[in-house]
Amino acid sequence: MNKMKNILQRSFLLVLSISLISCADDFLDLQPQQNISNEAFLQTFDDFNTAVLGLHDQLQGGGNAALYGRYTLLVPDVMGEDVKQNASANRAKEWAEYNGSETDFIPEDIWREFYEAINIANSVINSEFDAGADLTADLNTLKGQAYGIRGLAYFMLCNFYAQPYSFSAGAGHAGVPIVLEFDFQNKPARSTVAEVYAQVISDLNQAVTLINTSQKSAGYFSKAAAEAILSRVYLYMEDWSNAEAKATSVINNYGYSLVSRDLYPTQFIDGLSSEAIFEMIYNTTDNTGSNHIGGMYKITGYGDYLPSNDWYALMEDGDVRREMITFDNNLIGPYATLPLGPARVDKWPSEGPLNGTDNVSIIRLSEVYLNRAEARVNLGNDAGAQADVDIIRQRANPGAAAVTATGASLKTEVYNERRAELAFEGHRIFDINRRKQSLARVLDCTSVPQACNLSYPNNLFILPIPDGETNSNADITQNPGY
Amino acid sequence: MKNIYLLFISLMTTFYGFSQKTINGTVSDDQGPLPGATIIIQGSSTGVTTDFDGNYSIEASEGDILEFSYIGMEGQTVTVGSQDTIDVVMSSSTELQEVIVTGYGTSSREKFTGAVAVISAETLEMQPTATFQSALQGAAPGLQVVSNDGAPGAGISIRVRGIGSISSSNEPLYVIDGMPITSGSLSTTDFSNGGRSSNVLGSINPNDIESLVVLKDAASTAIYGSRGANGVVLITTKSGKAGDPKFTLRARYGTQQFAYDGILRGLNSTQYQQLHYEGYIARGTSADEARNLFATQFPLNDAGQNYNTIWLDEMTQTGVVQEYDFSFSGGSEKVTYFGSANYFDNDGMVKENKFERFSSRLNIDAQLTDKFKISNNVNISTFDQRGITDGTRWQAPFYLAYLMAPTVPVYDQFGRFYGDHKNFFMGGNNPVGHLYDDARELSQMRLTDVFEVSYEIMDGLIVKSDWSFDLLKVDEYLFANGRYGDGRRIGGYANEGGISQTNWLGTQSIQFTPRDTGNHNMNFFAAYEAQKVMTRTIELQGEGFSHPDLKFAASAANPTQAFSARSDYAFQSYFARANYDYNSEYFLSMSFRRDGSSRFGPDQRWGTFGSIGVGWNMTRLIESVPVIDFLKLRGSFGTTGNAGIGNFDWAGLWGFTRDYDGNPGAAPSQVSNNLLTWESQENFNIGIDATFLNNKITLNAEYFERLSSDLLLDRPLSLTTGFTSVAQNIGDMKNSGIEIDLGIDIIQTSEAFLGVNFNTTTLKNEITYLPEPIVVSTKKREQGRDFQEYFLFPWAGVDPANGDPLWYLVNSDGTINYNSTTNRVGDTERVYMEGKSATPDFYGGFNLNAQYKSFSLGMTFNYSFGNYLYFNPGWVIHGDGRFTPRSTTTYAFNNRWTTPGQIAEFPRHRWGGNQSSNQRPNSRYLYEGDYVRLKSLNLSYDVPTDLFGNIGINQFKVYLDMNNIWTWTKADNLPFDPDQAIDGVYNTMTPLAKTTSLGVTIGFKF
Repeated sequence: MNKMKNILQRSFLLVLSISLISCADDFLDLQPQQNISNEAFLQTFDDFNTAVLGLHDQLQGGGNAALYGRYTLLVPDVMGEDVKQNASANRAKEWAEYNGSETDFIPEDIWREFYEAINIANSVINSEFDAGADLTADLNTLKGQAYGIRGLAYFMLCNFYAQPYSFSAGAGHAGVPIVLEFDFQNKPARSTVAEVYAQVISDLNQAVTLINTSQKSAGYFSKAAAEAILSRVYLYMEDWSNAEAKATSVINNYGYSLVSRDLYPTQFIDGLSSEAIFEMIYNTTDNTGSNHIGGMYKITGYGDYLPSNDWYALMEDGDVRREMITFDNNLIGPYATLPLGPARVDKWPSEGPLNGTDNVSIIRLSEVYLNRAEARVNLGNDAGAQADVDIIRQRANPGAAAVTATGASLKTEVYNERRAELAFEGHRIFDINRRKQSLARVLDCTSVPQACNLSYPNNLFILPIPDGETNSNADITQNPGY
Repeated sequence: MKNIYLLFISLMTTFYGFSQKTINGTVSDDQGPLPGATIIIQGSSTGVTTDFDGNYSIEASEGDILEFSYIGMEGQTVTVGSQDTIDVVMSSSTELQEVIVTGYGTSSREKFTGAVAVISAETLEMQPTATFQSALQGAAPGLQVVSNDGAPGAGISIRVRGIGSISSSNEPLYVIDGMPITSGSLSTTDFSNGGRSSNVLGSINPNDIESLVVLKDAASTAIYGSRGANGVVLITTKSGKAGDPKFTLRARYGTQQFAYDGILRGLNSTQYQQLHYEGYIARGTSADEARNLFATQFPLNDAGQNYNTIWLDEMTQTGVVQEYDFSFSGGSEKVTYFGSANYFDNDGMVKENKFERFSSRLNIDAQLTDKFKISNNVNISTFDQRGITDGTRWQAPFYLAYLMAPTVPVYDQFGRFYGDHKNFFMGGNNPVGHLYDDARELSQMRLTDVFEVSYEIMDGLIVKSDWSFDLLKVDEYLFANGRYGDGRRIGGYANEGGISQTNWLGTQSIQFTPRDTGNHNMNFFAAYEAQKVMTRTIELQGEGFSHPDLKFAASAANPTQAFSARSDYAFQSYFARANYDYNSEYFLSMSFRRDGSSRFGPDQRWGTFGSIGVGWNMTRLIESVPVIDFLKLRGSFGTTGNAGIGNFDWAGLWGFTRDYDGNPGAAPSQVSNNLLTWESQENFNIGIDATFLNNKITLNAEYFERLSSDLLLDRPLSLTTGFTSVAQNIGDMKNSGIEIDLGIDIIQTSEAFLGVNFNTTTLKNEITYLPEPIVVSTKKREQGRDFQEYFLFPWAGVDPANGDPLWYLVNSDGTINYNSTTNRVGDTERVYMEGKSATPDFYGGFNLNAQYKSFSLGMTFNYSFGNYLYFNPGWVIHGDGRFTPRSTTTYAFNNRWTTPGQIAEFPRHRWGGNQSSNQRPNSRYLYEGDYVRLKSLNLSYDVPTDLFGNIGINQFKVYLDMNNIWTWTKADNLPFDPDQAIDGVYNTMTPLAKTTSLGVTIGFKF
């Protein structure tokens, strides 16, 4: 009996001892199961492809959709006179009313999400990987896309947070910080606008060099996209000849053509039209619904913003662009003034289950013509500028007369055509500011009185550096006026 | 370590064999024999219980010490000598001798060197809330207990001695019958409203709890090592006692209303029309046009008039809470059992907001042989919760009740919920319809099993092996109809989620109590423990339902989202403890724990924690002082850790939740930090326990200091890095305070009793090291300041001349300049609201218990003083017209500026906002949070059981119970219930209920 007990007891202790021994070291070495560690990623070609898709997704919808998903397009327009604010506007309101502060979410989200894009691009650009001979060209395309999107991001950051290139001689005024490598302790100061533009041009040129011409889908960054954006960059720099040259290269070398008048209103529904150079693809799995830029304007969405009579007056009857509106009889009073009446923007018309699936343009051939027109009028090539404006105007309205103005009045024609064509696509306040113009809401202003007329130069034409940055980075300087 | 252990084992196994004899006897008290008294041979697991006549029989050897114990009686020990019969007469114990459960063992107030709070079973029984946690409010010093949400089954937060962590968990560790279990919220969908509305502890039937002990200082918590820093809540469930089966049936039914009378009300349509008109006039709109804007905007009823919807009334109702609990217990000398079945049902004050629980339990203890003992406690429970969208989202009842214009109808001409998409009614998102036509549901199944086997190797040496499982399964279902609201235009959507969690724990321990050590009493304990928790989550969403009765994702035309996650963590630990006392006068205890966790960086995986506690019973020294019966001083010091962070916070990661053009994408999602480790904490405690005047007065007082260091912080990064923050161990914080618990038995006769108990806790919090201040929402965290101090724009009131907002300017030293004001918030800046913090100066409770013959009355108050509360959605609800055309509250309407010269609390109402008068966060929405609440008032009557004849009823108690029926607040304009989340920020969650119930408890014995 005693022996039995002893056996029982010893075997029990044995189990106990084994349990002590069995605490192998890997018991605590658990790995995450839906993430990949930094060390294990960007080790294959597919990893690079996935990261570059992630980078496009960042531009399209990342986080709070502050980039091309919504605010990067919305804010420059609500700060301009082609859009008026509806009574129920609750989203970009502070910026439409020139009453924003550094604590607002919009400057923070745009800032953060562009820098998140830059960080993804940096990871792709800085990762060494030998893809082998078969894949080298494809890997270069991926790296080129990362360079291109990084260049675009720095350019847009400058547009939002810095005064335009022309603001000071040599563009020595404050731009945005340039970050080319990841260091979590980095607290960078702002580079000058000239330095940031140099980076933008360098990145876009890298994209031109690296991206294979076979990459043609407008849903992805391409060689043509790099050149087209460069035409805009040079335009903003008032480097007219380079702007013209890049525009001409895009127009001549890549086989794009303007969509017909008939197809014009549906070009974003179907997407990837013959004139699309770089746009964001949306489909049902993105599930944006009313949070899409279209929802900011539509009756079926939030309907925060309305087209203005100032914009409507830029065009004549028969212009297809005038027809890209719908009517909403709930709009009354100052929100329905004639001739436009109770109108809403309908540039992204899909409804129902397809609401929010219309593509969003970053750059298209129309703009490239208008970039060239503006470059040419500044270079004194009035005939060339007239021709470019006619291409755009008569496509929209075949009955429109050819442009005959010259000099200063031709410049106004060029400017107005750009407004008519690119309205609601996120250009207006940048154009006003870089041309040293003043903002004047003439025909209707439904916003607060102080937002109806603002003169250049103006601290409020650009956004504040967000407090999320100033709170964590002592070396950053705030924009004057905030 | 291993070798030493094996040596120890082999040493111990060489001792064996001694002679035994049978001891018989009777245990009684002054009333007669005591059935169910326990007799244990000290240091062994051998024990018996007395039978119905108080008789027992036990095998013991000469020199063994028999411990006699009985609940509520003072324990006794008798050394076995040559006698064969030992009769014992027991007397009622004082609180000092009562057994208290401690981490991995038991002790008594008399012997324990640590600081604990003990909550009795009576406090927990038949409460009108789903979890036992709410009963802790005001029940013991050192515990700050707040409701995150007043909805049925929602979460409750507990802070033991303040906030010791900035960004990690501050919730205590919950241990049930020795098993650390999952607490908090487990939810993958939107159901939980950010973790506030669901609570996995809702599965535990509070009536099953025998004792609840909160460990507060290092001497008691250090044995839990890296998980002890926030305190430990030890839950011990009931076990049976030898004797005939006893049955208890408890039933209760109550109704619920808002506990706080001052909650806000929405406008009626006349008031709203006035406001609508004024809002446009203030913008410069002509009077005619302003009238026209109102007249053309809203739908009219059949009589051509505006609707007048009082949305709060449409969404709320009188709640009902009912509970039925049946339990049984009993056993033989060798096997005892306790079992229960419970049904709890709460229909909330918001329509269609419900919680319903079924739970059953069986606890069995069996003495298989003299040496060999097993026990198994198993609990199965399910609950079903139907929730609401709460907080500051559209549809949230206590948000929308004010923002929805009263001119919007609830129903349309077809009798359906009105759901037209209008300017004033985005998406036709009808908040009442949402409660009925949409669904938000959560079901939880939980199985907890604690299995223990113990074996006495030799006299005084016991080994134990514990194997426990906590299995959790949560299913969630969200549905939005396709006609209006969130599912509009996509044909409705369904969102289904499931979480399953497997949590296993193995503890192998050995304890040794040496014999014949004279006045030197000691015991030793050592253990190895491993725990692993595996969590699996699946979530999917589909859109487009072809028929109104099709509501689940399987019928959706368009599957839009599929998500899954797997996440595991593991702990591995070695720990030991030694207790020593000399003649029960001088006490010393030491504990040690070495913990490893997968949650920390590979370079920082293991940590060591420990404590030392000393006590001095001075009673003998002060025998000459007649008023003092007992006096003990004690002190402790030790270290613990806080491992309450995410599972892989240390790793640098890429995330794969992205897609573009239908293809998967990736982006960096987390910054790596291999040095990430637990927060550590030094705990210092000194305490005094005393009783006076023949134990009529009991006093416990403590002074504590918690020094938390290596605090894990999401340190803000420059956004240019592509990240907002990185988790780092930086920052120190100190919590210090005094706890007092005073009980006085004023009247104590055979027929009447009157006793009061008062407890209070003072708390001072200070961030002692933080390299850079961090601004988080309404607070700024800075070295030298309270963690919860508000940092806001300084509101200066309303300009009587024109109703414009006024702000104080700020001096260059960061203080408010009370002499100069501005209209433009941009001219001023955020400043500290000096001394105004969400941390209370002191808080606690007050109880009164009275009994006269068969009647008894219990009252419990809880209170909090010196804390401030922030009305977070105030910037919308009280936004002075910032959000066109949102309505507001009657309070804002009645206190708004309308005429020049008027001293008003609210600025002039202006559509589009009055010059950022609602800029957030600002001091205009800050309120004093001081309050006192009558948490419970219970009046009961014990019906004489002889009325029922001889049918076995031995208890029949009827009672009236009222909870939260009276509330005093210092701020008479406080617009919400004063019981709010720890951070003091009110986010329009469901307010707390006052409950009035009738109940009955019936005991049977056959």
